[in-house]
Amino acid sequence: MSGAQYSKKQDLLKNINRRGFLLRASLLSSGIFLQGCLRKLHPKSAYKDIKGEIKGPNAKAGHLLRDKSPIAPPSHSHSVETLIIGGGIAGLSAARWLKKNGYKQFELLEVEQEVGGNSRSGKNATSSFPLGAHYITTANLHDKELIEFLHEHKVISHFENNLPFYNPYFLVFDPEERLLINGQWQEGLVPDFGVPENDKKQIRSFLALVEELKKAKGTDGKYAFDVPLDNSSADSEFRQLDKISFQSYLKDKGYTSPYLLWYLEYCCKDDFGQKLQAVSAWAGLHYFAGRKGIAANAEENSVLTWPEGNGWLVERLASSVKEHIRGSSLAYEISETANGKMQVLVLDPETDKVSAVIADKVILTTPQYVTKRLLRQFERPNFHYDSLSYAPWVTATITVNGMGSTKGAGLSWDNVAYNTPSVGYVNANQQHLQTNENKKVLTYYLPLCDYQPQVSRLAAYSRSYEQWLDMIIPELEYMHPNITEMIEQMEVWLWGHGMISPTVDYIWGGNREAGSAPIGNKIFFAHSDLSGISIFEEAFHQGIKAAKQLLES
Amino acid sequence: MDKRLPALLLISVFVVATCGLIYELIAGTLASYLLGDSVTQFSTIIGVYLFSMGIGSWLSKYFDKNILSWFIQIEILVGIIGGTSSTLLFLLFEHIASFRILLYGLVSLTGILVGLEIPLLMRILQDRFEFKDLVSKVFTFDYIGALLASLIFPLVLIPYLGLVKTSYLFGILNVAVALFVCVNFKREIPAAGYLRSASIISIFGLLVGFVYSETITSFSESMSYNDTIIYSKSTSYQRIILTKRGKVLRLFLNGNLQFSSDDEYRYHEALVHPGLTALPEAKNVLVMGGGDGLAVREILKYPQIQSITLVDLDAGMTSLFQKNNMLVELNKGSLLSPKVKVVNADAFTWVRNQQKKFDFIVIDFPDPSNYSVGKLYTNSFYSEIKGLLAENGIMVVQSTSPYVAPRSFWTVNKTLESVGFHTVPYHNYVPSFGEWGYIMAMQRQHYKKPVQFPAGLKFVSKESLDQMFYFPGDMTKVETEVNKLNNQVLVKYFEDEWGAVL
Repeated sequence: MSGAQYSKKQDLLKNINRRGFLLRASLLSSGIFLQGCLRKLHPKSAYKDIKGEIKGPNAKAGHLLRDKSPIAPPSHSHSVETLIIGGGIAGLSAARWLKKNGYKQFELLEVEQEVGGNSRSGKNATSSFPLGAHYITTANLHDKELIEFLHEHKVISHFENNLPFYNPYFLVFDPEERLLINGQWQEGLVPDFGVPENDKKQIRSFLALVEELKKAKGTDGKYAFDVPLDNSSADSEFRQLDKISFQSYLKDKGYTSPYLLWYLEYCCKDDFGQKLQAVSAWAGLHYFAGRKGIAANAEENSVLTWPEGNGWLVERLASSVKEHIRGSSLAYEISETANGKMQVLVLDPETDKVSAVIADKVILTTPQYVTKRLLRQFERPNFHYDSLSYAPWVTATITVNGMGSTKGAGLSWDNVAYNTPSVGYVNANQQHLQTNENKKVLTYYLPLCDYQPQVSRLAAYSRSYEQWLDMIIPELEYMHPNITEMIEQMEVWLWGHGMISPTVDYIWGGNREAGSAPIGNKIFFAHSDLSGISIFEEAFHQGIKAAKQLLES
Repeated sequence: MDKRLPALLLISVFVVATCGLIYELIAGTLASYLLGDSVTQFSTIIGVYLFSMGIGSWLSKYFDKNILSWFIQIEILVGIIGGTSSTLLFLLFEHIASFRILLYGLVSLTGILVGLEIPLLMRILQDRFEFKDLVSKVFTFDYIGALLASLIFPLVLIPYLGLVKTSYLFGILNVAVALFVCVNFKREIPAAGYLRSASIISIFGLLVGFVYSETITSFSESMSYNDTIIYSKSTSYQRIILTKRGKVLRLFLNGNLQFSSDDEYRYHEALVHPGLTALPEAKNVLVMGGGDGLAVREILKYPQIQSITLVDLDAGMTSLFQKNNMLVELNKGSLLSPKVKVVNADAFTWVRNQQKKFDFIVIDFPDPSNYSVGKLYTNSFYSEIKGLLAENGIMVVQSTSPYVAPRSFWTVNKTLESVGFHTVPYHNYVPSFGEWGYIMAMQRQHYKKPVQFPAGLKFVSKESLDQMFYFPGDMTKVETEVNKLNNQVLVKYFEDEWGAVL
């Protein structure tokens, strides 16, 4: 992928892209600004009873990193053998692994007050709720490390005939999913109600295809698609699928049904925050074929979830390493000292106090767009930061005191409407045992994938709270007529870099591999963006892999 | 003018008399609906009403000047009080403690005002008729009005308008008399304009009441129930409706029949006695659901029982069955017994946080008609509650109809077995529900059919038990899945099977 000519071409492309980006971005944000002015003429209007505001990851910290504003010299410093930077799933998993293997000389820095990253959760009077990631599926049987972790925390209570028996309180309660299609809520998300026979045929054919791919193995005897994806077969028959988009793959295979394509696009939006044309075919198929977790007491790939979503898993991961965690600590620069140690400058975003940590080794579990700033003084050979694409997301935590009645299937855990911008909402109360609750907390997920991520991200940051309501509520109203008056509160969460997108050629194109290489046995990397797929399992294994590299070094 | 007026005034007598009797009938009917025992209610209401009319007549001598204007004011007042009386009584029935005072207060007030009407009218008319004519005419119209009222009330008004609308209608007629007098005698009345606007406003107000009476009292459900609704309340959890027809009380939760007082003994005897009689050593009992206290009533027939814990979600429900006279009579005050501890909590969460063991457990939840209640019929719930059942104890679960919904019934059985219970299914016939099913569950097989039952049972006996344990061909066991939190098959079965018959 290297070579002078290619780079030049890339630079040229970049320039064109850049100009286009600026044009689109300015058009879009001035549009939003104008609309915002108009909006002010009719302040709040129908939404005046809805309380809430825009929230998001610590923006101040993010800007400090990007703009590199002058920061005072460190007031004090201390030493530690190993420093883990980042308290998302990868960081916590690395910490857990170190501790589990008897290694205690480490500290974990997290910029937010709470660890968890995308898997953080919140709580109000009605329920706990996820802010981002909200489920895992039953683990692949051969994924010993994950199964061990789940067993450790009684997600798996015991084994029957060598199959894990999952805690029934954590398996998603029925009804699991429903789809609003052709005027009615149907059970399940695969389009069915009112779908013509020809489309159903294509849907069946695709599902049969991925069922085959689930079992398929490459010439090296490994599964074609596996979790973590690094365990997948190197067989080029499969890996070459990373070089084309999922959209062209489907076209080549003759899949034309709008219902099928909608469903697949929904899946890509749901897991990757991107549309069919923007993700690789390998990644698109991995969504269906990678997970093959069977259980003694549940169907294959059953969902495991909690009212607080993956916040529950965060709590369990962190439980064994609590005393090693330092919140509100923004690492913003790493340098090598004269005697070969790592000096990490750390700022407390609340107090603006700066300190230095001198570490022998560092595990960097920050996303690469942050890592880029931290490692200004280091080379990562052959790794191109800028070819990583992150999907911006908006999630909304919505507290409702009723939902009205709907035609067809009743409120489920996951609720999606056909052909709408969002990927629907999940009901945090689903896993509650109470029989009678009028109030619910819904988490609504909207991937911002209509434009290039940079454009969408910029546009997202320029929207006001009322403008988000203008975008979200009409869709909710479409799903549930008259729900507006039942909305008590809506917190809008903006995730500028919500998740890595497995763009064409990213997973197997070599960049990922380059980015995963430790620097001089001193800096190790772990993050789901180095997997290319933003799921708990990948981040979990990223953390373990980095911890193992460190312990072996 | 003078020729026409006396005749019109006599028509007023007629209207006023009709209205007066209607109010009395409304109060009597309402009292017997709400408080039961119609003979006593009617008799005391009529007594109080007539006595108050006497007070009114006696008071009439103290009205000296401006009799016409007093008459008009009294008409307006009667119209307003009489017209809104049934609404007031329905709405205030929920404040049960003070209800009788309020009822008789309103009856007396209406009586006094109605008692004032005829004497005052006679004095207005005295200059226009000879005395013997006056007495004869006034009383003739008075009694004709009474006859008319007593005929149209049961035949026309109650069936077509209902109590609330009837009172508003007659309130309007009453005020219309006031308006009519006011308009025709305006020269003889000081401040006629003021009285006229007052009557018009009152008529308008009563008209609004008439039109919106159903919304105001939120008794719109009465359309969907055959019987008269005597109590309705939305608690935070459900809508409680109590209806009455003749002596029969029926309780509906969210529109689903919970019991009918004429045959509930069949259900509650069958629910409790087959299990509890087999446990002569039982001391501690747990009842889940069953906030009506009727299962507890049956359990209290065993003197060896020391404590009964009743867990019901809805405090509105349990307190209704602790306070309302008719309902307390029905459950024999069971929820007021010192042996009974009422806990208002969510069943699943409560069970998960309990350690105490119980000798006998009654599970009397609503039918699994939705996913929320369906959770209380899952293997997860049963395995939690299994931990609360003593080694030699028995648990009994109401399990819907094995005749209408065999798959649902046998799913409950299968689910109980799946967590290691030994089960004994049985059934009986409850006219209001049809053929109904129950399942006893125990830690190991130790059930022996009892032969001796508490005295005074109307249904359960040694002989009926033989019938109850026998499942004829149309209710035999079918193979089903286990009901789990993550499949909730029972709700689907239940929907299918009951959907087919309803």
